[in-house]
Amino acid sequence: MQEHQVTFRPSLDRRRILVIEDEPINQELLKMFLEESYDLVLAETGMEALRIIHSQYERLSLILLDLNLPDFSGFDILRQVKADARFARLPVIVMTSDSDAEVECLTLGAIDFIPKPYPQQKVVLARVLRTIELTEDRDTLHWTERDQLTGLYNKEFFNRYAAQFDIHHRDYPTDAIVLNVNHFHMINDRYGKTYGDKVLRLIAENILEIVEKAGGIAGRNEADNFWIYSPHRSDYGAILETVQRDLNGDGQSENRIRLRMGVYSDVDKELDIERRFDRAKLAADSVKDSVTRVIGLYNSSMYEAELLAEQLIEDFSVAIRERQFQVHYQPKFDVQPNEPILNSAEALVRWSHPTLGMVNPGVFISLFEKNGLISTLDQYVWSEAAAQIRQWKVRFGVTLPVSVNVSRVDLYDPELVEKLQDIVARNGLTSRDLLLEITESAYTEDAEQIIETVSRLRELGFRIEMDDFGSGYSSLNMLTALPIDALKLDMQFVRNAFTERKDTRLLEVMIQLAESFGLPTIAEGVETAEQMFTLKMMGCDIVQGYYFSRPLPAEAFESFIAARQGHEPPAEKKTYPTRRDRYIYDSLHDPLTGLYNNSGFEILFHDADHDHIAVLIADIDDYTAVKKNRGLVYVNDLVCRVAEVLRSSFRSVDHICRMKEDEFVVIMSRVTSAQKEMVYSKIETVNCALREGTDKLSPITLSIGLAFSDREQPDGDVFQDADSALRRMRGIRQAGFAEY
Amino acid sequence: MTIDELKAYGADVAEGLQRCMNNESFYFRLVKMIPGDPNFRKLYDAVAGEDFGAAFEAAHALKGSTGNLSLTPIFAPVSEITELLRARTQTDYTALITEIRKASDELARICEG
Repeated sequence: MQEHQVTFRPSLDRRRILVIEDEPINQELLKMFLEESYDLVLAETGMEALRIIHSQYERLSLILLDLNLPDFSGFDILRQVKADARFARLPVIVMTSDSDAEVECLTLGAIDFIPKPYPQQKVVLARVLRTIELTEDRDTLHWTERDQLTGLYNKEFFNRYAAQFDIHHRDYPTDAIVLNVNHFHMINDRYGKTYGDKVLRLIAENILEIVEKAGGIAGRNEADNFWIYSPHRSDYGAILETVQRDLNGDGQSENRIRLRMGVYSDVDKELDIERRFDRAKLAADSVKDSVTRVIGLYNSSMYEAELLAEQLIEDFSVAIRERQFQVHYQPKFDVQPNEPILNSAEALVRWSHPTLGMVNPGVFISLFEKNGLISTLDQYVWSEAAAQIRQWKVRFGVTLPVSVNVSRVDLYDPELVEKLQDIVARNGLTSRDLLLEITESAYTEDAEQIIETVSRLRELGFRIEMDDFGSGYSSLNMLTALPIDALKLDMQFVRNAFTERKDTRLLEVMIQLAESFGLPTIAEGVETAEQMFTLKMMGCDIVQGYYFSRPLPAEAFESFIAARQGHEPPAEKKTYPTRRDRYIYDSLHDPLTGLYNNSGFEILFHDADHDHIAVLIADIDDYTAVKKNRGLVYVNDLVCRVAEVLRSSFRSVDHICRMKEDEFVVIMSRVTSAQKEMVYSKIETVNCALREGTDKLSPITLSIGLAFSDREQPDGDVFQDADSALRRMRGIRQAGFAEY
Repeated sequence: MTIDELKAYGADVAEGLQRCMNNESFYFRLVKMIPGDPNFRKLYDAVAGEDFGAAFEAAHALKGSTGNLSLTPIFAPVSEITELLRARTQTDYTALITEIRKASDELARICEG
């Protein structure tokens, strides 16, 4: 990779001049002229001159070149100097008595000439000085306009030149292109800044090649943001390929450097340059986490999102003033006791916009986090929540703590602590009533500063919940250093754990980890009874989610508080349960198959949504006879096989229970008779599998009774009616199913 | 060697001195280097051997140094011979060579004095 010459020098330094002249008298004269003002280096042959240039070019300000040298011709030297990117910028003054040669030298790149016989000293000095100054000014300008590292234009000059480009290309379409390196900060961290710089320079070189060929200008704006503004074209893939050339040359696929590209094609020239590149950046961001797409094109949906974002930002202050933001509350239950008890609530903000309706919190929260408006919004929520806690206290005599979000931006506010204290005091509450949720990723940046602020808050009695635990990159060390009072498990984490069974082990580990630090755990996003149970049995303390309730406006939430009245919470516990209670788990599961047992069934059935379930009851045909003939061990294997077949045939949201020795019940949730066919096919799958048998087990059949919650003319509850169906069937035949 | 002697010799002392920043001793030092310049020998030999390329180089070098010192008696014939040699002119160089020799010998004598 070529290195760029750096020629910045404080103006008081003595400049260094290389004098290439073999005639002693001429040497003496030049020395006499120049050595008072300059450091001189003398070369008597072309070879010597080139050697000196190669080793000292960074320190040379000027070359004085005699054309008549013993070995090379001066022309050759001049040509060589100008051809090498490292020293091409060095000014060369040629000394010659031939006027013909002067023209050729200037053409070859000499900046000036000194005739022979030499003019007076002061003329020579003046020419030398002027040349050096001009060159340095040109270099200064060059570097003022450019980014030092890569030589591409810096932001300010890029914008200027882009505007100029527009003037010269008024009627031609142009593109704004942004290029970024994926995970660039990680490359710097892993391989060091020198390596990172090399990467950037190589990219810059490739980009320069593109704009030199196709026209256009290129710039770099901080870190790994490269900009190209060029005439419109359609082969963006070719650009990306060129830019990536040689980046992964050594073929080590582990270090692969990947780029992503965002294009705003055929720009709207009414927009200013920055905004054009904002759009290109949006397009680049749209493929940021994609494995397959590396080029993003700015399109109409991005445009609409941009418009929406602008509108939301504009409408924000009015929304605050008119109280368009409403705080909803989602209950959090302590699930360790036999009956879950309302423990606290989480305050969640909703925006009821006059023209847009309910705006998706995902959209406006991340938007306001980016531009800092989130601070104002957070404080609004804190105030509302505190006022609400006060109201409930007065009306119901229940002080229900409410957790509120504290954004990263808030943590940098020097007045944060005072603001929170003020809100608490104004509403006649204590600091223990407002729970502060801080996201895990806030701790990993500027940890020290944040730890200080959070410690202060805790000293004043506020309790801190670490939100989204499991989604950040905190090392285990941080857990010991962090001042927190509870861990809130990341919602995605919880969800994923239940769709891939093996991941529940990780969830268990995290809960135990929290226990070992004496920290209670809160699980968010819990939707089903099974999830709630499993978490409870792993030792999770608090559960929040649709299983209990979606977030509700204050009035609707009151029913929870009213129910809580009279249920005095246990005296403030310093420690939460520290051992996973295996006993409870065992009491709900059948030891042989791992399926739920009767007790488990009771609870699941009780908790099910009785408007959308189907119940299947399955008996193993001729079970008693088989048991008598083949023995207990054999029928146990058989039962296990049936359990396996049932598990693999039904969905993860269905609950499978073993009721009696040979009887199984399946509770299918979120199902109505509209999905009959689906259910039938599952039954068919089960029967086919069992009809086959294995090398150790003979084929068997099941008799199945089925009932849907939306069946006609129900007699008893769903279970009872499924049972009736089964009984009816048994009277007629075996090996099939009957529907109520 | 004195200024007057050089003047009498025919050198453009004013110009030469001025080029040497009016430093007399420096001027004298450089003038003294001329007689011993190996390019004279090189020139004579090359002309004798009709190696016009080498002869041109030697003449050109001498032209430069004597020109810088404004030593007209040598500079004039050397300039003339340089142009002829540059064009590789076939001619009788004897007269010019003789003139150059004479002028350089004269200078040598002044320098020793």
